[in-house]
Amino acid sequence: MTATYVYGLVAAGTTLPEDLVGLGPSGRVSLVEHDGVAAIVGDVPDRPLGTRDDLTAHEAVVDTVAAATTVLPMRFPAVVEDSQVIDELLAPHQDRFLRALEQLDGMVQYSLKGRYVEEVLLKEIVEEEPAVAELQERIRGVSEDASYYDRVKLGEIVAKAMEERRDVDANDILDRISPFAEQASPTTPPQPDEVVDIAFLVRRDGVEQFESEVEELGADTHEWLRLRLLGPLAPYDFVPAEE
Amino acid sequence: MTVATQAGGGGHVDRGGGGGSSGLADVVELILDKGLVIDIFVRVSLVGIEILTIDARVVVASVDTFLRFAEATNRLDLYGKGKGGKDLTELTQGMMEGGAKGKTAGVLDAAVDKVGELLGGDEEDEREPVRKRPRQRARERERER
Repeated sequence: MTATYVYGLVAAGTTLPEDLVGLGPSGRVSLVEHDGVAAIVGDVPDRPLGTRDDLTAHEAVVDTVAAATTVLPMRFPAVVEDSQVIDELLAPHQDRFLRALEQLDGMVQYSLKGRYVEEVLLKEIVEEEPAVAELQERIRGVSEDASYYDRVKLGEIVAKAMEERRDVDANDILDRISPFAEQASPTTPPQPDEVVDIAFLVRRDGVEQFESEVEELGADTHEWLRLRLLGPLAPYDFVPAEE
Repeated sequence: MTVATQAGGGGHVDRGGGGGSSGLADVVELILDKGLVIDIFVRVSLVGIEILTIDARVVVASVDTFLRFAEATNRLDLYGKGKGGKDLTELTQGMMEGGAKGKTAGVLDAAVDKVGELLGGDEEDEREPVRKRPRQRARERERER
């Protein structure tokens, strides 16, 4: 069996950028079209997939195409039998693919991530939480072993205080940037000093304004918040779920 | 695709992503967790994915995290007390690294306290809030308009 790698789906008639390099040995990336939908495909290497290069190649192909046109990104890794791209992938799901492409037409995703500048937040917490100062007093001058439980407790209080602040700040950020996006999908990051991880679906014609709003937010908050903006990306977080 | 610094902006936001310029952790998060899955996809053998995924996702708050915060907070306290504390802090840290932990740090810390008192250094009242929250800022701007 020969296999085909599928990066994502676009509307039929799309012209692919010329500089795409796939993860297969040929590096070639092309389209297989069927009834209004096209699969972005390439060859598959003769080894297990999952190297760093495989992952970055998949993302680069998808997001380079996404910069110009709407792509439904496939989850890594997506492989079908050569002969089945149309019969098993495009034809049976044509309806669903077309609807999703239409829904997401003219939009791109941005992912906004933010992390506290630790020193600033810790300073605020030490000043505002009396329990922290009390514990610090108890730990002071005591050996590391003897103060172990107090130090854990101190850290726990700090982490909790940070999470409380983060909930407020994350909401503020969401409120402030959401008006410039069609949709927002926030997730709570695992670490207390990670403030936000929000995916925004943005209209292509609103991209400039969106980016400058984020930049302005960054300018207002840079003393205590490090913001990172990824995009434009394919709408990874907004692919409609299977009905 | 996307430039590293923003045209027109002050460059306060790190930029990345789009066409292979993201870091590996970002890529992993996007393409392994999200995106379309169709049940007909052939099972392919994978190499390294599991490890990558674990690497990319930091473990949720644990004792280690707490201890890290505690340490950072205590270090910060030294900075906070009094002027000229920096030298002492450096000294303290040098000693801690040298193995003389705990006691020595405590003594020096007390010394920093004393210096702080001598300098009359309790500036808390005049200190401006460091943090301008996004919402506050937005309100301020509305008022300006």
